Amino acid sequence: MRLLIVEDEPDMLDTLAEAMRGEGYAVDEAADGEDGLFKALEIDYDLIICDVMMPVHDGFELLRRLRQVKKTPVLMLTARNKVQDRIQGLDTGADDYLAKPVDLNELAARVRALIRRAHGNATPVIIVGEVEIDTSAQTVKVAGQPVPLRGREYALLEFCVQHRGKIITRTQLYEHLHDENDTPISNLVDVHVFNLRKKLGQDFIVTHRGRGYSIGL
Amino acid sequence: MKWLPNSIRWRIQLWHGVLLLLVLVVFGVTAWRLQYNNEIRILDGRLQLLLSELHVGLAQGGDAEQPPEPPDDVAMLLGLPAMPRRVEPSRRTNSNPSFPHYHRIWWRDGIVKESVGAVPTSLTRPSKRGAAVDQRTQEGFREVYQFTPPGECLLVGVPESVIEAQMRSFAVQVVGVCTVVFALGMVGGWWMASRAIAPIRDISEAAQRISGGHLKERIPVAETESELGQLAGLLNDAFTRLDAAFEQQARFTSDAAHELRTPVSIILAQTQLALSKPRSVEAHVKTIEMTRRSAQRMQELIESLLMLAKADAGAEAEREAVQLDALGRENLDHIRPLAEEKRITLHDDLTPATCRAHAGHVSQILTNLLGNAVKYCRPGDEVRISTHRQNGHAILTVADTGPGIPAEHLPHLFERFYRAEGSRNRSTGGAGLGLAICKTLVEALGGRITVESDWQKGTTFQVTLPG
Repeated sequence: MRLLIVEDEPDMLDTLAEAMRGEGYAVDEAADGEDGLFKALEIDYDLIICDVMMPVHDGFELLRRLRQVKKTPVLMLTARNKVQDRIQGLDTGADDYLAKPVDLNELAARVRALIRRAHGNATPVIIVGEVEIDTSAQTVKVAGQPVPLRGREYALLEFCVQHRGKIITRTQLYEHLHDENDTPISNLVDVHVFNLRKKLGQDFIVTHRGRGYSIGL
Repeated sequence: MKWLPNSIRWRIQLWHGVLLLLVLVVFGVTAWRLQYNNEIRILDGRLQLLLSELHVGLAQGGDAEQPPEPPDDVAMLLGLPAMPRRVEPSRRTNSNPSFPHYHRIWWRDGIVKESVGAVPTSLTRPSKRGAAVDQRTQEGFREVYQFTPPGECLLVGVPESVIEAQMRSFAVQVVGVCTVVFALGMVGGWWMASRAIAPIRDISEAAQRISGGHLKERIPVAETESELGQLAGLLNDAFTRLDAAFEQQARFTSDAAHELRTPVSIILAQTQLALSKPRSVEAHVKTIEMTRRSAQRMQELIESLLMLAKADAGAEAEREAVQLDALGRENLDHIRPLAEEKRITLHDDLTPATCRAHAGHVSQILTNLLGNAVKYCRPGDEVRISTHRQNGHAILTVADTGPGIPAEHLPHLFERFYRAEGSRNRSTGGAGLGLAICKTLVEALGGRITVESDWQKGTTFQVTLPG
């Protein structure tokens, strides 16, 4: 999962990015509304966390322009916490609204919920065959037995499970598992898929030659 | 509340009632007196008629019969045949019980010649006057008398009680009319008071609603010319100013909270992150650095807010003679290391200028202006500070050749928490209070601060302080 954080306070941006990376997300950063809008239009993020008060374009403006093109889930984050601000944010097309100071656990939970809902899942636990993925605890069980996964492996698995029933291209996987600062090795995805098959069963992830991968298709 | 006896409506009603009563009493008494005089005049007319009848009778009978020599021979006089003729008119009138008149005739020596009817016992002969008919009121009797040229006195009288009935009925009428007028007057007064008070009540109700929290509402002003319209207008103006002040206050508080919330958010999030799982020493150092930076920012903000509060109350600060040029030099020395680091050249043109101000406040103004100039200037730019006297004022100018301020920001530059777009970033971030503090301080000192800026050419701040 790849997030974009748009926040003009450098320290706040660093903190949020660090926290979200700690949750296993690939995180891109933008320090103002213009940069944020550019990135949000350029890349299909799974979620955008966006401050309201920013130079160039404020959060509402960014949201308005983004919504003309894309349905990416947006969580507005702001120090302004008046009811009318929240209403304006939600009416402009924000999917959630969180006031500063934020509790990082709450933020993480809301981010998870928003991503989950964007893919049409009501609960954090997703079961595909014998595999049970708890997206909130980020744990995976096979036939009731916990299976330890590494960060990128889990991220890849969750992305595939959230998009289960569809073919996921390698480009998509690269785009959603790495942030703008990563320089991924080209066969990294193959390595992760290989490891996941070893842990979850050979048939769990199906390869579609020349097209990509799928789960539960 | 409007029914309380001390309400204006009741007071107007009371005054109105008292005044009306007074007028009616005066009117009633006057009317009564006029009517009384009228009745008396009618009475006098009747009495005069009787008197003249008596006089005619006396003349007809008396000329032939009256013996000039024995004036007091009453018996002889009574025996005269003319007597019954003279008595006749009085007997005729006496037969009327509603007009029980009497008459008496005196000889010229004062001896009673004739006395007919219910003559009061206290009746005395009028003192001698001219020949004209005269009248008097004596002990409840109205009398008309006349002296004949030789000196006989004829008097006709009647008790005044004969007009009592008329006067009483007249009084009843007057009182009746007055009562009706009073009642109508009171009702009219009540109506008028209501009409006069209605706008006041509207105003007070609207004012109550407004002071109850609906600060956006205004008192409806129908006629701006009337006194009440003017009052409503004044109140509306006051409410507008109050509303603006409240709004400014609310905005200020909200801005201050926002400015404080950002560093607090950073501290809270960073510490939460640091405590959530074991991390490297470098990560912890970074957390501590960020926390320190945030705390420092809060500290600066608190200082600024305090300074602003002080500046708001600045009018009370003690004034002294402040050497503007010396203070300028001092502040220039403070900022010099920072300027040199940024490769900004400082120039000064400090001619002696004294102002009456508070040295700390002036120093704060200088610090903020110089600090801003150095902060926003690019390497290679120049900052010039100059002081001089002009028309008894001390003038301070801080000019730079920096990036300048876009024209659209200039009107807002001195607003609290206002930050020109782009000035809110990593290198120059501030709370947006520096210039607001300057303006508040300058104005508290009775001075003026102005700004001129050309985009990409530079900015000049000029402060005028009273000398």
